[in-house]
Amino acid sequence: MSDQQVKRAEKLMSDPIEFFNRSITQMHMFPREELEELQRIAMAIRFKEHYNSVEMLRTLADRLGVSELKEFNDVVPLFFAHTAFKSYPASLLDGKRFDLMTKWLNKLTSYDLSNVDVSGCNSIDEWIECLDEQTPLETITSSGTTGTISLIPKSRTGALYNMEIWKMFLFQTFGKEPTEEELNPDVDVIWPNHAKGKLGHLRLANLIKTAFTGGDESRFHALYNDAIDTDLMFLASKLRAAASRGELDRLEIDPKLLARKDEFEAMQARRPEEMSKFFEKCTNELRGKRIFMTSAYPIMYDVAIAGLERGAKGVFAADSAILTGGGTKGVALPDNFMETINDFLGVDKIQEGYGMSEISAFHWACDHGHYHVQPWIIPFLLDPDTSEPLHREGVQTGRAAFYDILNESHWGGIISGDEITIDWDTPCACGLNSVHIHHDIMRYSEKQGVEDDRISCSATEDVQNEAINFMKEFEG
Amino acid sequence: MSNFDVPLFIRGKLIQDNWVEFGGRGTGSAFRAPDIHQYIDELPLKSPMAMADLYDVSFEEILDVLEQLGAALDFETNPYIREAYEAGLVAANYPPEILKSSYIQLPMVFNRESIREIAEQRIGIDYLEGWVNQTLADGRDLRVRAFGARALHIPAGNGGLVSAITIIRNVITRSDAIIKAPSNDPLTAMAIVRTLYDIAPDHPITKHLSVGYWKGGDTVLEEKLYQPQNIEKIVAWGGFASVKHVTQYIQPGVELISLDPKRSATIIGPEAFESEETLHHVASRLACDIGVANQEACASARVVYVLCGTDDAGLANINRLGELTYEKLMGLPAYITSKPKTFNRDLAEHLDATRMDDTFYRIIGGEDLEGAIIVSQFDEPVDYSSMLSGRVANLVPVDSIEKVTAAVTALTQTVGIYPESLKEQLRDTLPLFGAQRMTSLGYACSPTTAMPQDAIEPLRRMCKWIVEETCDPDKVYPLWGE
Repeated sequence: MSDQQVKRAEKLMSDPIEFFNRSITQMHMFPREELEELQRIAMAIRFKEHYNSVEMLRTLADRLGVSELKEFNDVVPLFFAHTAFKSYPASLLDGKRFDLMTKWLNKLTSYDLSNVDVSGCNSIDEWIECLDEQTPLETITSSGTTGTISLIPKSRTGALYNMEIWKMFLFQTFGKEPTEEELNPDVDVIWPNHAKGKLGHLRLANLIKTAFTGGDESRFHALYNDAIDTDLMFLASKLRAAASRGELDRLEIDPKLLARKDEFEAMQARRPEEMSKFFEKCTNELRGKRIFMTSAYPIMYDVAIAGLERGAKGVFAADSAILTGGGTKGVALPDNFMETINDFLGVDKIQEGYGMSEISAFHWACDHGHYHVQPWIIPFLLDPDTSEPLHREGVQTGRAAFYDILNESHWGGIISGDEITIDWDTPCACGLNSVHIHHDIMRYSEKQGVEDDRISCSATEDVQNEAINFMKEFEG
Repeated sequence: MSNFDVPLFIRGKLIQDNWVEFGGRGTGSAFRAPDIHQYIDELPLKSPMAMADLYDVSFEEILDVLEQLGAALDFETNPYIREAYEAGLVAANYPPEILKSSYIQLPMVFNRESIREIAEQRIGIDYLEGWVNQTLADGRDLRVRAFGARALHIPAGNGGLVSAITIIRNVITRSDAIIKAPSNDPLTAMAIVRTLYDIAPDHPITKHLSVGYWKGGDTVLEEKLYQPQNIEKIVAWGGFASVKHVTQYIQPGVELISLDPKRSATIIGPEAFESEETLHHVASRLACDIGVANQEACASARVVYVLCGTDDAGLANINRLGELTYEKLMGLPAYITSKPKTFNRDLAEHLDATRMDDTFYRIIGGEDLEGAIIVSQFDEPVDYSSMLSGRVANLVPVDSIEKVTAAVTALTQTVGIYPESLKEQLRDTLPLFGAQRMTSLGYACSPTTAMPQDAIEPLRRMCKWIVEETCDPDKVYPLWGE
C-alpha cells in the first residue's frame, strides 16, 4: 500500500464528512473496490491503535494470537458481543463501587480513566455524569433483564460528529450536490420522549438540541421534560432478573433511591398533563412549521395515535424531516402503521434508518427501502450458529456484524443480534453504489420466540413504571 | 421431509393416519403425528365408571405385568425402543452415548421390588389395595382408600425416564392417563405403551393409557379436553412458560400437580481442602453433579458455593478446585457426559466477555464449547447464572456459612453438600429458603424414584383419598340428641 493510500484511509477514518466533501451522493457513489481497499487499511490502523489502548481487545487478541489485521475476515474472531458491555458484576453497582466500575470501564475504552475521581458519587447517574465531566466520554446505557445494564463508552465529539452526518442525510437528496440551505437547515425539533437520560436514545436529545437548534431550548419541544433515571432502570432490571431467579423476596432497594419515591410518583402523575400540553403546542404554536422529529417506530406510532385522537392531523410543514427505524421492538404494529404516522405528521417523506448504539452509523434507507451501509462501516454476515463469516457474494442472510473504522472511544467490531440480508452483487435500483441491506430485519430472539434480554427503548416507560410501582409496594 | 412418525395410542388402539407435520420444516427435527383434532372425542375416558376394571386387578398382578414390560424394553431387541432412540438422536439435546445409556437403564426402572417400594413408601400398598381402618379420637371408625383419577400428563422431555415414571405412577395409582409426548422425547412413552400392548393387549392397565403428540398451546384441543368432565388432574412438568400456560385451565374439578422448573445448587465445606486426596475426591463428585446427563437435569449442579474464604489462600484453593473439577469433568465416560450437542449462544457470548477481564472471574476451559468452570474471585456468582448449561458451572468462594443460604431460592430443588456434617448443620435452615432435597455431593443426579419430589408427594396427589366412616351413636355424639 502506498503512503498516499494510507493518507487517504486516515482521512476516511477520521473525517468522512470532509473526505466525501459533505455530500451524501459522493459517500454512496464511491467505487466499491477502491473503498474496500481504503477500509482494509483503515481497519488495520484502527486495530493497532485500539490494541494498545483498549485492554479487553488486547486480552482477546493475545489469547487468539491475532497481532495484525489484513483481510476483512481477520477481524471476525475479535468481534465483541453485547455481553462485552456488561461483563462487570452487577453487585458493584449495588455496592456503589464506582471506583471498581471505572476500572472496569477503563478496560473497555481507549481513553485513560485512571485519574478520574469518583469518590463523591452516590448513584449510577452521578457516576456517569462524573465521567462526562472529567473525560471525553459520554457513556450511554441500555437496560436488560439479566439484572444489569450495558454501558457503552461513546465519546462526546464522536456523537456530535454523528449529528452532522444525520443532518446531511436528513436534508440532502441522493444524486444532487448539497445546497447551502441543505447544509444549514432551519428547523424546530419535536422530541416525542423524555428530554434527558443516559439511555442511548435519550442521550440523542441533547445532541439533537445542540446540532439542530444550536442549543436553543425554545426550539426544542420534548414530550416529557424530566429524565429517565438510570438508577430506576437498574432497579427495573434487577426486578426482572430476581423474578426469573425466584429471588424477589430478597431484593433490596437502595435507600437513597427509595427516598425519592415521591418524586417518581409525582413524575408519573404529571405525564397525562404533559402529554396534553405537548399536543396543544404541536397543533397551535408549531402547526405548519418545518420540524425535525425522530423516534423508533412504536413510539412514533403511539404519538401519532395519541395526536389523531386529539384531532391533530397533518400537523407539520410538508418539507419537515422525519426519521424513524430501530425495528418494531417486538411490538405488533398494524400493516398501515406508517400511513397512520403520516396522517398525524402530514409530511412529504418519512425517512427510515438502521443502526445500533455500539457503532457510529445510521444506515439510511433509499427510496427502494434498502439500507445503504455508510462507507466508514464494514458490514459482515455471519453464520447465526457458528459465527463463521459468510461469503461476500450473491444474496446472503445471516447475523449482522459490523466493523466501524470511525469510532475512537471503544473497539469497533460488533456482532449484533439481528438477522439481515445483503445482496452483494446486484446494484440497488436506486442507483447508489454502496452495499445495501434489505428492509426486513429481524432480531434472532424474536425469530426464536425467546425473550430478548434487552429492554427496548419503547418499553422504557412501562419498565420504569414497574420499578416505581414496586417501590410503592415495598414501603407498603 | 419428516424424520420420524409419532402415532397416536388411545387405550389400546393405535392410530397411524391423518398425518400432520410438526417441527421446523426442513430442519432435522421435523416429524409427523396424526391430526389430534380428528380424535379429540376419543381421547377422554367416556365415563369415570370405566375405571372399575382397574379394581379387578391385584397389586401383585400389576407388578407381574410391569415386570414383563420391563424385560421387554430391551434396547437391543425392542424395535419401538430402538425407534424412540433414533428419534431422540434428532429431537433431543443429548449426545448418542448418553441417550443410549438412558434406554439401557430403562428396564431396571420397572424392577419389581423398586415399584413395590415406590407404592409402599409413597402411598402404602394397603391403601391402594383396599380400605384401611382407622379409629379417630371422637370414636368414629374410618376406612380410607386411595383411588385413581383421570389425569393428563405433560412430562418433561429431558430423558426417557420421565415418561417411564409417568406410566409407572399411573399404573400404581390405578389411574387413567392421557400423556402428551414432549417434542424433545417424542417416542419413549409411545414405545413403552406399544410394548405393553404387545404383552397384554386387553389388560386394564393397557386400556387406561393414551399417548399422543400435539403442539403445546393448541387452544382448540386444550379448551375441549382440559375440562373437569374429562380429566381431574393435570400433572405438568417442565418450563415456566408451559406450566404457566396450563394454569389457565385450572378450575374447580381440575387440579394441577406442578413439577415446575427447578434449579439446583451445591455447597462445599472447608473440609474439601484438608488434603490433596480429599480435594481430588471432592472434584470428582462435583464433576458428576455437573456432568451427568450433560447438566440438562433440574438436579444438575450449576452454582457451587465453596466455604474456602475470599482471601488469597481461599482464592488459590477454589481456583485449584476449579481446575481439578474441569479435569475430572472432561475425564468422565461418554455415557455419563460428553461435549454438548448444542451450546446456548447467549451463554457463549457471556463467557467470551467474561474471559476478557479476569479481575472478577476466571474461566477454565470452554474454548471449544465443551463445558467450563467459572471461578468467581469474590463472593458472588456471575450475573448470568440462570443461563448456566452445557456443562458450565460457577464456583463461588464465600467466607461464612451465613452466605451459603444465598445459594438457595424459591426455585431450588436439589442441594448437593459436602461433607455430611455440613449437610446436617444446614438441613433445618435451607428448606426455609426453598431447598427441597439435600443430598451427598456427587449424588444430585442419581436419585431414586421412591422419594418425595419437588417438596410434594406427587403419587399421593395423583390419588383421590376417599373416606368411608361408621359412626356408632354410643361412641360418636349424635346430633339428633338421643
